[in-house]
Amino acid sequence: MTECKEIIQVDHVNLWYGDSLALRDVTIGMPDRQVTALIGPSGCGKSTLIRCLNRMNDLVDTCRIQGTVNFHSKNIYASDVDPVDIRRKIGMVFQRPNPFPKSIYENVSYGPRVHGIKERKQLDAIVEKSLKRAALWDEVKDRLHDSAMGLSGGQQQRLCIARTLAVEPEVILMDEPCSALDPIATAKIENLIEELKTEYCVVIVTHNMQQASRVSDYTGFMYMGELAEFGTTRQIFEAPRETLTENYITGRFG
Amino acid sequence: MADKFHDEILNLKCDVVNMARFGRTMLNDSMIALQLQDLEMARGVKGRKVTLQEQHDSLEDRIFTMIALYQPVARDLRTLVCSLMIVQSSERIGRYGKDIANATRHLADTDTTGNFISIPHMSELVVGMIDDATLAYEQENLNTIEDMSKRDDVVDSLRTSIFRECLTYMMEDPRTITRCTHYVMISRFLERSGDHACKMAEKIHYMVTGERTEIK
Repeated sequence: MTECKEIIQVDHVNLWYGDSLALRDVTIGMPDRQVTALIGPSGCGKSTLIRCLNRMNDLVDTCRIQGTVNFHSKNIYASDVDPVDIRRKIGMVFQRPNPFPKSIYENVSYGPRVHGIKERKQLDAIVEKSLKRAALWDEVKDRLHDSAMGLSGGQQQRLCIARTLAVEPEVILMDEPCSALDPIATAKIENLIEELKTEYCVVIVTHNMQQASRVSDYTGFMYMGELAEFGTTRQIFEAPRETLTENYITGRFG
Repeated sequence: MADKFHDEILNLKCDVVNMARFGRTMLNDSMIALQLQDLEMARGVKGRKVTLQEQHDSLEDRIFTMIALYQPVARDLRTLVCSLMIVQSSERIGRYGKDIANATRHLADTDTTGNFISIPHMSELVVGMIDDATLAYEQENLNTIEDMSKRDDVVDSLRTSIFRECLTYMMEDPRTITRCTHYVMISRFLERSGDHACKMAEKIHYMVTGERTEIK
């Protein structure tokens, strides 16, 4: 695998929720146009880490962070950075599909409208392009003005991805995007991830190790708030260097 | 679930070791039968072919099932792949034993017996290589297979010298042609078995360290 430019660099990050240390001296890079997976047991800090990448942890009152997260070599925690702008460039998809209780069209066009695009034609084009990129267009093009709540779980999740894509992000963060989906919907999302990485940097948190090994190029194994091992996915799943990683992925834990 | 899987791996490894020793013993017994001109013993070796094949098929089937059901990764996966490879090599080694046992029958008809050139020595070396590879697999310890490449070089050079020697005998006296042709074939079977021991050692190295290596 060729070395890729890292679009996000996490440098010696410590993070506390109140008094408890959730991330301990984490240093990791996310290469552009590659999929990076974060795996590890519950409570290991993988969701906390992914939420650091677009300042979602700002929303937690007790959260305190130390260290830097550079996006294009600029610290996103610097005082002159607008977190809303960061979250536009670094989009996020959550575990449970969370479409707005509005039409499919409005779900996708909402972001661009908030960012000031008013012209109908332009919005139409963005909605079509985003839905196509999210591999949902063919399934919904005849009912764009129906409620998004009428879609299946897998379709809703792809709608959420389309909604993220509509504001032209550079990075897509996915926090267990398939754990509420059936295997077929999961396969569709996984295929979509494969396509998305040709244009975006994708970071995915997953409990499903087979999923990590299927979709990602790089894998980070987290344990008790630390990044225990990071490497190419192939190396992690074929011959991990750390015994801890070995024990976790082969199910010898605890 | 995980513990059940790891118990299954341990059981599998025991059975793979048994099969490796079964194949190795077929080869070794065929050489004893050859040297003693013991046709009864040679027939016995040939008879074990069916059991060998059955062991091969059932172990292969078990390994495929384990891969399909548990989707192993890391060391577990490397162990299963290595086991599969050893099962295949052991089947080949056992079959070379059967081939040598076949030759014993033909050699018993020729009047000159007793002169086996360096074939018994070669066979000792090869059986030792198989034993050490099997031990390394069983104990997941690379000590016994460290000098595999050097040992294989000796086996290879023995094969070349046996070939030359046989050629000389055959040119001197055409009556030796049948016997010497069989010797050349047998040295070839032994050399191939030595190669299988090297392949096993390569895979065991991969199983234990996660790094690929080339022996020889």
